Amino acid sequence: MDIQPLLQAVQDTSVATLIRESGSAFPMLESVHVIGIAIVYGTIAVVDLRLLGVTAHRRGALKLIQDLLPYTWVAFVTCVITGLLMFCANGTTYVQNTAFLFKMGLLMLAGINMAVFHLGAFRRIAEWDTQLPPPRQARVAGFSSLLLWAGVVFLGRWIAFL
Amino acid sequence: MSSSLIIAWIYASPLSTAIRDILWVIPTVQSIHIIAITVLFGSALISDLRLAGVFASDEPLRGVVRRYYPWMRNALIVLLCTGLVMIIAEPDRVLVNSTFWLKMALVVTAFSMTWLLRRPLMRPASHAGSDDASRPVKALAWLSIGLWCVVIICGRWIAYTI
Repeated sequence: MDIQPLLQAVQDTSVATLIRESGSAFPMLESVHVIGIAIVYGTIAVVDLRLLGVTAHRRGALKLIQDLLPYTWVAFVTCVITGLLMFCANGTTYVQNTAFLFKMGLLMLAGINMAVFHLGAFRRIAEWDTQLPPPRQARVAGFSSLLLWAGVVFLGRWIAFL
Repeated sequence: MSSSLIIAWIYASPLSTAIRDILWVIPTVQSIHIIAITVLFGSALISDLRLAGVFASDEPLRGVVRRYYPWMRNALIVLLCTGLVMIIAEPDRVLVNSTFWLKMALVVTAFSMTWLLRRPLMRPASHAGSDDASRPVKALAWLSIGLWCVVIICGRWIAYTI
C-alpha cells in the first residue's frame, strides 16, 4: 500500500498549505507543541520519579498521580493536535524521516509501558501507596517511562536535522 | 562595531568550529535544553498553581514550594549551559537576534519573580495557621506561568527571526 498519494492530498488542502506557507503558523504550532511537551514530560517525570522512590509534594503515590494526570492528558492532546497539523503540512517528507518514524515507535512503546503499569502495579496501588521504595514493577515502569519519553523528546528534535 | 568583532572572534574560535563540525552536538545539546525546559516549566507550573491556590491546595504551601524550587534552579543552570553552547556555535545568528535578547530579558524577569515569590517560603514556618498566598502573590504566580510560556515561544522564534 502506498501512503504517499494520500499524504500528498492532505498536503494539498488549504489548511496544510496555509501552515506551510504562512511565515508564522509553523513556528507558532512548534511553540505550542514545546509548551505541551514541557507539561507532558514535566508532570510525567514527577510521577515516574515517585515510582522510583523520589517523593514529590504528596506522601501517597495515588494522590500524586490523581493530581497530575489531568494536566498530562490535556497537554498530550495539545501535542497530538499541534503535531498532526505540522504533519499535515509536510506529511510526504515526514514519513521518510527516520527520526520521525522512530519517534512514533517510541511513543507507542511509552503507551504500552503505561498500559502495562495501569493493568498491573497500579491496580494494587493501595498496598504500596506510601511504601518506599515502591515495588519492583512500579520502579521498572517509572524508569522505562522516564527513558522512553526522553527518547521521544530527543527524536523530535532530531527530525529537523535529518 | 566592537560587537561584530566579538561575534567574528567567537565564530572563528576552535571551540565554535568544533561544535559546528561535529554534527550531532547541536541537536543533542538542543534536546538536553528541551528536557531541562520540561523540568523547569513542570516545576514552575506545579508550584505556581499551588501558589495561586488551584492545585493541591490541601498540601502546605511551603512544602510544595520547597520541594520544587531546587529542580527549577538546577534546570535553569542546565539551560544556561546548553544555551551557552548554542551561542558559541552560532554567535552570528544568536547575538544579533532581537528575539534572543527579548527572551533573555524575560528569563531574568521570570526567574527573579520565581525567587521573590518563593524566598519568604524557603525558611521553615515560624507560626502555624493558614499559609494561603495573598491576592497579589496569586496574581503574580499566574503571571509567571504566562511569562515562562512567552520565554518558550521566544526560544522557538529565535530560529525564525533576525
